[in-house]
Amino acid sequence: MSDYLFIQSQDPFTEVRTEHQFALAGQLYDAGHNVRLLLVQNGVTPAHKGARSVHFDKLLKWGVPVLADNFSLKQRQILEKDLKENIASSSLDTVIDALLDGEKVIWN
Amino acid sequence: MKALQVIDQAFRTTTEEQDDTILWLTQSMRGAGGHLTVLLSGHAVYYATQHQTQPALTIAGWAQTQPANLPRDIGNLLHSGVPVFAVTEDLEERGLDRQILLDGVQAVSRQGLVNLYESVDQIWQW
Amino acid sequence: MSNSKTLTFAFMDPPFESERTVTFFRLLDAALEKNANVRVFAYEGAVALSFSKQAPHGNAVHGLNREEEAHPLSKDWVAALQQKATGKGLTFEWINCGLCVDERGVNDVIDGCGRGGPPDLWRYASKAFNTLTIGTR
Repeated sequence: MSDYLFIQSQDPFTEVRTEHQFALAGQLYDAGHNVRLLLVQNGVTPAHKGARSVHFDKLLKWGVPVLADNFSLKQRQILEKDLKENIASSSLDTVIDALLDGEKVIWN
Repeated sequence: MKALQVIDQAFRTTTEEQDDTILWLTQSMRGAGGHLTVLLSGHAVYYATQHQTQPALTIAGWAQTQPANLPRDIGNLLHSGVPVFAVTEDLEERGLDRQILLDGVQAVSRQGLVNLYESVDQIWQW
Repeated sequence: MSNSKTLTFAFMDPPFESERTVTFFRLLDAALEKNANVRVFAYEGAVALSFSKQAPHGNAVHGLNREEEAHPLSKDWVAALQQKATGKGLTFEWINCGLCVDERGVNDVIDGCGRGGPPDLWRYASKAFNTLTIGTR
């Protein structure tokens, strides 16, 4: 089994491709691989409570762990309490740790 | 080390650079011994169905003499041993499913990407 | 730190046009913070990140002169990362794709940044522990 970290900068409100990016993450997860998503930049926007994104919410229900970059959240003044359930804030250390652990790290 | 080059955009640079900059990069790295595979997804699936050179640009009196030749570039990659895949559903949703893929380009389904991603050591998404 | 792993990063965006540029530099900083050696292959627009002739300016809309505005310049970020690496006994290498430099005319780069080509990216990646590429849009 492999480990994947997707750095998700694209957001579902402006980038249609995110539907397929999220689906691929879910498919890898279903295949038994360790998969996580780190939202960065505008990629954090669907993580806000009340944000309407069918595909992002489907990914959350899929069970893929989703993290959100602190700096990106602060830029948009999104507090931890404003995040949807099961989304944790994190830092870019997550990326470096994943790279140093030999994970497949992919920028979306 | 095997690396998958994922090309998800298309025609961004083909006029100014007279090629796709990631296809070019891949060919150059192959020349240096790189173990590479190319995945064409999103609009980049158009590259898998091209059979002509790009139109030459003219601006005022300036005229392009070396427009991009994507079929040549894909052919060269295949000839040098770089497998090239195109995502089936991305072709279909663009109405390209009835087009003939360039010889040697392999279709892969979105579900099939799981195995493709597993077959390489690193995925370089551009 | 001779036991440190090396990470390679490839990037394509120029300064001032995309949020990706800031995230990229934050990643490089985080990598050094985690005691990784860093190698950067700057491709296409990213070759302008190390251009030595970047210059700050004042901002009349902000009501600030040049010194007060203290406008960020990516070349200063590159220099700061170089210094951080040196201070920690790590290596920080930066290669610009030469053809990309030529077509943009950004041949004057800060010290410590070199010129190369795609074979260098493959060399960097082959010898590094892991690689992250960030494309442009």
